[in-house]
Amino acid sequence: MKRILIIDDAATVRLYHRNILEGAGYEVDEAVNGIEALEKALLTTFDMYIVDINMPKLDGYGFLREIRSQEIAQAPAIMVSTEAETGDQQLAYGAGANLYLVKPVKPDGLLTYVRLLIGGV
Amino acid sequence: MPIIKQVDSEINDTEKRLNARDFPGLLEQLESNDPSARRWAARDLATHSEAAKALVQRLKREDDKSVGEAILTTLTKLADPVAVACLVECLRSEDVALRNEVIEAMKNLPNEVAPIMGSLLTDTDPDVRIFAVNILESLRHPQVETWLMEVIKNDTHVNVCATALDLLGEVGTLASLDALQNLKLKFSDQPYIIFAADLAIKRISEA
Repeated sequence: MKRILIIDDAATVRLYHRNILEGAGYEVDEAVNGIEALEKALLTTFDMYIVDINMPKLDGYGFLREIRSQEIAQAPAIMVSTEAETGDQQLAYGAGANLYLVKPVKPDGLLTYVRLLIGGV
Repeated sequence: MPIIKQVDSEINDTEKRLNARDFPGLLEQLESNDPSARRWAARDLATHSEAAKALVQRLKREDDKSVGEAILTTLTKLADPVAVACLVECLRSEDVALRNEVIEAMKNLPNEVAPIMGSLLTDTDPDVRIFAVNILESLRHPQVETWLMEVIKNDTHVNVCATALDLLGEVGTLASLDALQNLKLKFSDQPYIIFAADLAIKRISEA
């Protein structure tokens, strides 16, 4: 079963994404900020990361830069953010994101992109 | 390693004593090439209420994390209208890390931030409105629930409402239930809003 790490400081957002992904058969773990996500990425191999941008301690850009530059993980990463500015998208792709989605993400849309990037469960 | 820390401290004390500690001297040290000198200057400027603007100008250019933290701590201690206004200005920065640090600093200033919260929550930039809601997260102010209800009632931006909704689910009381029901009607085409509002209503009703 493919494992996805959801990284977001908002508990409701994590639960929303978890319900969608678990409902489709994926295994899901959560982290509340980039630091906790780094710790989990070091200990576990994930097939995908779904990453918020604005988080305390270490934001989404910082997390992606770390896992890419330190070669901790090369699995696809979807960055989700409230910000729709082109500059934010460029920063996300520069940090190592494979896809940038603007919140709120609809269930069908999220699953379509997840399957596109890592296939089915 | 206590011995090493003691040596560091002695060195820093020596550095500190070498420089003038009056206001002009501290402003000069705030622009030093030495991060240690900048950090000491930022700390010592906490006794100079007129330092807020200079501190924020430095903060925007500062690349040393510990100096940035010292500046934010000093702005928090100053906590006057100018310091708060300077912090608000930083909320508009494109630097995510700076914005997050400022949000954390403003959470500790309930009495100073409260008078400007109304204008922050109605700012023309939706990102600033979202950051304002983030500040409310742990502002510990009696108005928090009222502010959040106003946001989900009046704001038309889905992500501003979603951010307020997430927090209302944690701090809301029965007084929020009507506003939450109305929000579901306002964004009936947004699955996340429906999900989060139902979750908030359930939590509040069962509390």
